[in-house]
Formats: sequence, C-alpha cells, structure tokens
Amino acid sequence: MAAGAILEIRGLAKRFRARAPGAESPWIIRDLSFSVREGELLTIVGPSGAGKTTLLNMIAQTDTASGGEVRFRAQVAPLGDAKALRPGLSRQIGYITQDDNLLPWRTCLGNVLFPLEVQGRLDGQTRARAQSLVEAVGLAGFENHYPHELSGGMRKRTSLIRTLVYDPPVILMDEPFGAVDAQTRALLQADLLRLWGEGRKTIVFVTHDIAEAIALGDRTLVLSRAPASVKSEHLISIPRPRDIGGILTRPEFVTLYQAIRAEVA
Amino acid sequence: MSALEQASLVESAPGMNRRRLLVMAGRIGLAALLVLAWQVAADTAGDLYFPQPLAVARRIAEDTASGALPWNTYVTLRLSVIGFLLGCAAGILVPFLLRLSPRLTGAVEPYIMASVGVPKYALIPLFILWFGIDDAPKLWLIGLLVFYVVFIAVFAGIRNVDARLVTMARVLGASESVISRRVIWKSLTPFFFAALKIALPRAVSAAIIGEFLVGNAGLGFVIENSRQQVDSTGVFTGILVATALVLAINAVLERADRRVNAWRPVDRHMEI
Repeated sequence: MAAGAILEIRGLAKRFRARAPGAESPWIIRDLSFSVREGELLTIVGPSGAGKTTLLNMIAQTDTASGGEVRFRAQVAPLGDAKALRPGLSRQIGYITQDDNLLPWRTCLGNVLFPLEVQGRLDGQTRARAQSLVEAVGLAGFENHYPHELSGGMRKRTSLIRTLVYDPPVILMDEPFGAVDAQTRALLQADLLRLWGEGRKTIVFVTHDIAEAIALGDRTLVLSRAPASVKSEHLISIPRPRDIGGILTRPEFVTLYQAIRAEVA
Repeated sequence: MSALEQASLVESAPGMNRRRLLVMAGRIGLAALLVLAWQVAADTAGDLYFPQPLAVARRIAEDTASGALPWNTYVTLRLSVIGFLLGCAAGILVPFLLRLSPRLTGAVEPYIMASVGVPKYALIPLFILWFGIDDAPKLWLIGLLVFYVVFIAVFAGIRNVDARLVTMARVLGASESVISRRVIWKSLTPFFFAALKIALPRAVSAAIIGEFLVGNAGLGFVIENSRQQVDSTGVFTGILVATALVLAINAVLERADRRVNAWRPVDRHMEI
C-alpha cells in the first residue's frame, strides 16, 4: 500500500449483464487501479460512458464489483455480494451524486440536518455547524424553503453541505456541478475550493470537464474509453489558493489542458 | 417570482374574489334547485316515494332533540372508525412487512391481488356465521374493505419510491427502519391520503350495510327499521344524516391532507 493512502483501488473491474442471451457480457471497467492520499483532492476525467459513475458507485459501496478490491485505510470493503455491501462504508465515505437527491418534503435546512438526525448526532453543536455551512454557501434566508422552491444552484449547494455537515473522511463527487449554468458553476467551484481549503477532506471528484478537473485538483487521472482503466496521471502544480476565474489563462493550465484533451479525445 | 408577476397577481386579486363569489352563488343556487326538485317530486309522487322536505327537516330536529339521532350517529361513527383503524393498520403493516422479503412478496402477491376480486359484501353471511351478531362481523367487513384500498395504495407507493433517495439515505448512515419511516413512508403519504379519501366513505357505507343486517342501533338500523314501517321520512332522515357524516369526515381528512402534504408543489385550490 502506498504511503499515506486513505483509499486504494486495486484491479477493480465491472462487467454488465449481457443484453441478449449468448452475447458476451461487456466489461465497463477493467483492471483499474489508483490510490488517494489523505487530504488530497483527486479529479478524474474521462469520456462519457467510460464508467465514471459506476466507479464511484463501487467505491461508495452502492454497487457490486466483478473483480478487484477497494481498500479504505487498509481495510478491504466487501464488494462481491450485493447483500454484503455497506453503502457509505459506515459513514466513512460521503457521496454527492449527479442528481441532488434532496428529500422533497424537507426544507433546505431539514435536508442538511437529515444525516445528523439519522445518525443520532443532532445536538446544539452539530446544529450550529449546519447553520454555519448554510451561511458559508450563501443559503441564509432560504433555510425554510422546500427543494422545489430553490434554484438549481441552491439545490446543488444544499446537497453539497448535506454531506459536509457530517464530516466523512472521504467524499466522492460525481459531476456535482454538471447541470447548472457556467456562472453558477464557477461560484460552486469557488465554494468547494474554499470549504475544502478549510477542512482538507479527501475528495475524489469525477467530471467530464477538463478545465474543472485541472482547476480543482491536486492530481488528475484520465480514464480510457470502456473498458475503463487509468490512462494517465497529471500532477497539477498550480499553487493554492487558486482563483477559478484567473486560472484559465495561466501557461501551466493551458499546457495541461492540451495534454489531457489529446488523451480524452 | 419577478416583480411583474407579483404585480399581475395583486391586480388579479379582486377578479379572483369575484370568481369565488360566483362559485359560491352557483353552489347555493344548485342546492336550492335540488330542494325544489325534491319538493316537486314529493308533491307529484306522494309521501311514500318522496317525503316532504319539511317533514324530514322536522324529523331531524325532533330526533336530534330526543337524543336518538345523535346516539345512532355515534354508533355508526364509532363502528366505522374502529373498523377503519383496524383495516388501515393492516393495510400499512402488510406492505412494509412484505418489503423485507422480495421472495415472500413474489409468492404472496398474486393471492392478495386475486382476493381483491372477491366481492366483500358477499362475505357478510359468512362473517355472521363465523363471528356472531355483535360488532365483530361488521368490523370484519369494514376492516376488509379499508384494508384493500390502503394496502394497494401503500404497496404501489413503496414500489414508486425513488430508489436514489433510498440509496442516498443508506450512504448517509440511515438504518432500514429509519429509511422505512423517514424516506419511504414520507414519500408515499400522498398515495396514502388518496386511499383514505376512498376508504373512509366506504367504511361508513359498510357500517350502514352491516347495520341493515345485524344489530339494533346505528344509522343503518334507522334506515332499515323505517323502511319496514313504511316510514319514508325516516329513511330519508337516515340517508341525509349518513351523507352529512361522510362529508364531515371528508372535511377533516382534507384538512389533515393539506397539513401533512403542505410541501407538495401542487395547487389544490380551484382559484388559479
């Protein structure tokens, strides 16, 4: 195991059931390995359909693997059998999915408090933390709004802090800012970088947007087309704190962007 | 909401009031027309077929003053509510138990669905045979009728729950019982209330039919007893009070629905 790795993916594979009888069942992911250091913000880019979401589902333990293993702090997660899966690995792995998946009958604040309530950890201290997160992402004044009364960007923010509030050591993010306009997306990215800078969580951030991957990440992995495996790795040496707007014109950004684009295309 | 939209809403408020007044006037007019038609029917067909509206009103007043009508209404209401609660509890519990085992569900489902087809009222003679002539056979009838309506709604509701919400709750560390109560139950409450709106009037109907056949109190007994004495005024009195009872129950239900499902982005008001 690599020194300081909190999460280690080894030889992970996923095969989908054959569509027609007799047809060979396709591999969507095959022999995929990488590790994530504690406190690292790792970004993963790949062409659409490369199995990025499937990869995160397996790490989050919401889907089984056809081979390989996921280790969290040197402990092997059970991935073979659907019944043995432990989604979120006992609250150690947070997962922010593409859809915000907010509970429509709970208000913005109600959704943020939901993990604390179900974990039996709702007290004055955690409630204050929830409130400060609500304020940190500009949702103050919207606490009592239902999800359908919030804009797309606000829903994304709610979903983001719903995971941050219970402080899991690892957070997986699956194109969390995919469905919002460019300006909102830049604001959300800035929010994420600021919050990450304060807490230094370990984050695995999947996206198809190369610029986003470079702007956010300490390191970017490029996935190959299906069956997906790690095609290349790029260290992002652009110093932090980063300015999301200004970063796009830096020479090292442009070099990285062109290199990664050539690989993804 | 933009300022423009807000402005147009403010402007349309008097228009909305006028519309509401018109609807109200229409309702009162229709009621008057109905009573008028009743009066004409009573004058042409005679008291046996259509008793005089005034006679029915007088009967309601008399029997209310004597305490007979409130007592009979209470008997029917009590029976309906107990039967309803029993059927409702089973209708919620069974689908949640079935959720624990997909295999058991697969085995049991066709039998439950087939038993929906059994005409429940046809079972009354059996219930009397099995459970005697007290409240028990009536409660079985009411409970069974309510059970199917609630069961089907809750069963369908559980199947319709957004699986992504359940997965999300699991990742956040929610136990299965928390998921049942806080995710699945919450997301099926609209289904549940739709079922209640069908089940509650049915419970009252079933109680009345039960009282036709068994017992010596309740609105069903009032109606059947009056019929035997060729007292059409008594029959009409019973029907009117039973209708009022169902309407009152519906109003309570409607209020509860609005409270519980206030989060839904659905407009239930007719104004807009």
